[in-house]
Amino acid sequence: MAKRNHSRLSILTRSVGTPLLLSALLVAFALLAWAVGSRPFNQTVIDIFVQVMLVTGLYIFVGNSGIISFGHAAFACLGGYVVAWTTIKPVMKKSAMSGLPDWLMAMEIPYWAAAASGAVWAGFWALLFGAVLMRLSGIAASIATFAMLAMINAIYSNWASVTAATSSVVGIPILRSVWPYLAGAIIAVLVAWLHSISRHGLTLRAARDEPTAAAASGVDIPRARLIAFVISGAVMGMAGALYAHSIGVVTPNTFYLGMTFITLSMLVVGGMGSLSGAVIGVLILSSLIQILRWLEAGVQIGSSTFALPGGVQEIGLGVVMILILMFRPAGIMGNRELTLPWPRARAGQEKAPDATGVET
Amino acid sequence: MSLLAVSNVSIRYGRLTAVRNVSFTMAESETLFITGPNGAGKSSLLRAIAGVTPPAQGRIDFADHDVTGQSPERIARLGLSMVPEGRDVFGSLTIEENLMVGTGMHARESNWRARAASELEAVYATFPILKDRRHAQAGLLSGGQQQMLVIGRALMTHPRLVAIDEPSLGLAPNITDQVYERLIALQAMRKLTLLIVEQSSTRAMMVGGRMMLMRGGEIVLDGDARELGRSEAIEAAYFGYGEH
Amino acid sequence: MPGLLQVVFDALSLGSLYAMGALGIALIFGVMRLVNFAHGDVIAFCVFALLWPSTDAVAIVFAGNLPWFLLVPFVLAMGAGLSVLLEMVVFRRFRRANPATMMIASFALGFVIRYGLLTLFSSRPKSISLLPALSQPIEIFGARIPLLQLITILVTVGVLFGLTVFLRRTRFGLEMRAAAENFTMARMLGVRANRVITIAFALSGALAGAIAIILGSQTGTANIAMGANVMLMAFIATVIGGMGSLTGAVAAGFLLGSLATVLQAVLPPDARVFRDAFVYGLVILVLIFRPQGLFSAQGAKERV
Repeated sequence: MAKRNHSRLSILTRSVGTPLLLSALLVAFALLAWAVGSRPFNQTVIDIFVQVMLVTGLYIFVGNSGIISFGHAAFACLGGYVVAWTTIKPVMKKSAMSGLPDWLMAMEIPYWAAAASGAVWAGFWALLFGAVLMRLSGIAASIATFAMLAMINAIYSNWASVTAATSSVVGIPILRSVWPYLAGAIIAVLVAWLHSISRHGLTLRAARDEPTAAAASGVDIPRARLIAFVISGAVMGMAGALYAHSIGVVTPNTFYLGMTFITLSMLVVGGMGSLSGAVIGVLILSSLIQILRWLEAGVQIGSSTFALPGGVQEIGLGVVMILILMFRPAGIMGNRELTLPWPRARAGQEKAPDATGVET
Repeated sequence: MSLLAVSNVSIRYGRLTAVRNVSFTMAESETLFITGPNGAGKSSLLRAIAGVTPPAQGRIDFADHDVTGQSPERIARLGLSMVPEGRDVFGSLTIEENLMVGTGMHARESNWRARAASELEAVYATFPILKDRRHAQAGLLSGGQQQMLVIGRALMTHPRLVAIDEPSLGLAPNITDQVYERLIALQAMRKLTLLIVEQSSTRAMMVGGRMMLMRGGEIVLDGDARELGRSEAIEAAYFGYGEH
Repeated sequence: MPGLLQVVFDALSLGSLYAMGALGIALIFGVMRLVNFAHGDVIAFCVFALLWPSTDAVAIVFAGNLPWFLLVPFVLAMGAGLSVLLEMVVFRRFRRANPATMMIASFALGFVIRYGLLTLFSSRPKSISLLPALSQPIEIFGARIPLLQLITILVTVGVLFGLTVFLRRTRFGLEMRAAAENFTMARMLGVRANRVITIAFALSGALAGAIAIILGSQTGTANIAMGANVMLMAFIATVIGGMGSLTGAVAAGFLLGSLATVLQAVLPPDARVFRDAFVYGLVILVLIFRPQGLFSAQGAKERV
C-alpha cells in the first residue's frame, strides 16, 4: 500500500511540470492580451483559449486511447446549447425556442454555472453513447463517432421548438474578459493531466500501446476507454459552453464538420499522444489561421489590395495536416511532454510504439 | 556462380538487432537448412531475402541481380518464391484460386494460360489431395493440406529458389514426412534450390544437405547436416555451451 | 398496391445509392485498410467537373451539355482519374502508415478538395440541368416511378454483376481478392502492389462518378457538400456490414436505404425530419448487440 502511494506521488511530482508549464504559457498569453488592450487581439486570445479547451478535451480521449473520434464536436454542441437554454433572457427564449419546459424557460444563471451544467449534460450523453461505442474496434468506433455527430447535428438542426433548428440562437451574454476563458483552459489542462496520471489514464495508455499485454494483465479496456470518453465529453461540453459565451450565438453547424476538422488538425499537428502537443498545436495553427485570415481579408501592397480567395484557410490547414501526417505522424511533440528540468528529469516518458501510437 | 549471395546483412527492428552481419551463398540445386533456437533471426533473414523487410545493412544478390530492399513482387518475379511460416492460405479463395494467384506474373508471355494449366496439373500430380478438393475453400483445409497448398502455390510461380519458413510447425510428424517427401521429389525433378528454416535440426539431419545454425542473429555453424549431427557441435552451438 | 410499390422502389433506389457508396469504401479498405473519408468530396468533384469554374449562382455548364453517352463516361473517368491521382500523390506515401493515420489524412484531403471547389465555385449551390429526361415518371403496375429511380436500381445491379464477374473471373480480380485478404503474401506471389491498389481506386472513383450523376440529376443542383449525406450512410453501412466485406457493405447499404424509406413512410409527419437521426440511433442499437457487424464472418474481434 505504502509503496503504491509512493509511486503515485512520484508520478505526480515528476509530471506536474507539464500542467504548470502549460498553464504558465496560457497565463502569459492572457497577460499579453490584457497589456495590449486591443479588442480584436483580446478576441483572438479568447478564441485561442476556447480552442485549447476543445483540443485538450479531444486529447483526453484520442490521445490516451489511440482511437480517433470525429464526433466530439457533438459534445461541444450539447454544451453550447445548454448555455443558450440557461443564460438567454426568458423573453428572447420564448420567441426563439418556444418548446422549452417552463422551468428551463425561466432560468437565467451566471456563465460559470451554465458552463458547468453544459459539462455535466455533455458528460451524461458521453456516458450513454460511450457505453455502446467503446465496444467497437478502433476504426469502427471512429466511424460510429461520426454517426453520433451526425445524429446530434440532425436532431439539433430539426427540433425547432427546442433549438430553433438551423436558425441562429442569439442573445447569449457575451463575455469579453479574457480571464474566464483562461480559467477554463487551465481547468481543461489540469483535468487532462490528472486523468493521464490516474490509474485509468495509465491503464488506457498501456492498452493503447500494447493491447494484448494489457488485456492479459486484467485491464478492463472498454471501461478505461469509457471513463476517458466521458471526461473528454464533459470538457468539450465546457468548451462549447464557453465558446457560446465568446460569440453570443449558436447554430448546430457551428459545432459540426468545421470544428471537427480544425480541432483534429490542431491535435494532430501538435502531437496526438501528448497534452503539451495539444496546447502547442493550438498555438501554432491558430497563428497560421490568423495569417491566412488576414491574407484572405486583403493586404495592401503598394496601391493595390492583394487578397487570397475564401477557402484558402481550410486548404492550408488541410495541406499542413497531411504533410505532418506524412513526415512526422507523431506530431511536433510526438509522445513527449513539456517538463521542468528536475534532476530526475525523465518525467512521464513513454517510448513511442510506432509512428503515432494510435490504435487501428 | 552462386544463385543467392547474402553479404554482411544486418536486420534491425528499432533498437533490436535481429540479424548481425550474416553472409553466406547458395549454389543452384542446393538444399540449405537454417536451424536454431527461437529468436535467432532465421525468419527475419528469410523475410529480408524475400523483400518483405529491408536489411539495415548489407547486400543480397539473387540470380545476378541486386535485390537488397527490393519489393517482394519484384523478387518473386526474378524467381525467388517464399513460403512464410504459418500456412498463410487465402482462406476465402478456393484451392485452385490460391494456386492461380501466382501465375499472373507470367501473363505477358505467350501462351501463358496453357503453361499455367500445365503447372497446375504438375502441382496436382505432386499433391493429389489438393486436386480432389480443388474447389473447396482453402480456409477449411487441415494443417497438412494447407502446408501442401502453400508449397504448391509457391511452385506455381515457376521459381528457381523456394524459401520455406518452418514447414513442420504445428504438423504431426507423419504429415511432415509426407510434405518433405514431396518436396524432395520435386527438387530432384525440377532442379529446385531449397532454403528451409527449421527449428528442429533433426529434420535437417534426416533429409540431408547443408545446414547452418543461427543463434543470436549470427551464423555459428555451417556444414553438412549429417556430419554435424554426428558430432557434438550442434548441441553446443544450439545452447551456447562453452560461451560466457 | 401502388403506394407499396412506390415505397419499394424508393427503398431500392436509395439503398442502391448507399450500396454503391459503401462499395466504393469497401474496395479501398479491402486492399489498403484505408477508410477513405475523401470519397464524398470526390463525388462532389465529379458533379462540378461538368461546370466551368465561376462563382455565379447559375452554373455555366461546360461538359454537362454533352449527350448522355459521352457525359456518363466523362464523369466516370473524372471520378476514376481524381481517385487515382489522390492515390499516387497522397495515399501512396501512407502505405506503411497505420490505418488511423490514413483515415485522418483522407479526412483532411476531403476538406482540401471541398474547399478547393469552394474557392473555384463559391459555397452557394448552383442549379444545373443534368439529364433532365430522367426525372420523368414512368408507370409500373399503377405506380408512378421516376425514371431515374429505375435507372439507379438497374445501374447498381449492373455494377454489382460486373464487379462480381470481374472479381471472380479475371486475373486482376483474383489478385485483388488475394491482396485484400493478405497483401504481403500476395506480393510474395508476384502480385504488383501498385497495380492492385490503383485498380481499386479507379473502380472506387468510377463508382463515385456514378453516384454523382444520379445525385446531380436527382437534385438538379451542384453543391460542394453533395456527397456527404450519401457517404455518411455508406460509412455506416461499411461498419455494420463488417469492415472489409464487400457483400456485407452492399447488403448493409440496401438495408439502411430500406430502413430510411420505411421510416419516412411510417413515422408521423412531425417526426419525419428526424428520419436520419432515427436511422443512426437504430444503427447504434445494432452495434450494441453485434459490434462486429451483421455480416462479418469473424467473431467479435477487438482489432480490425
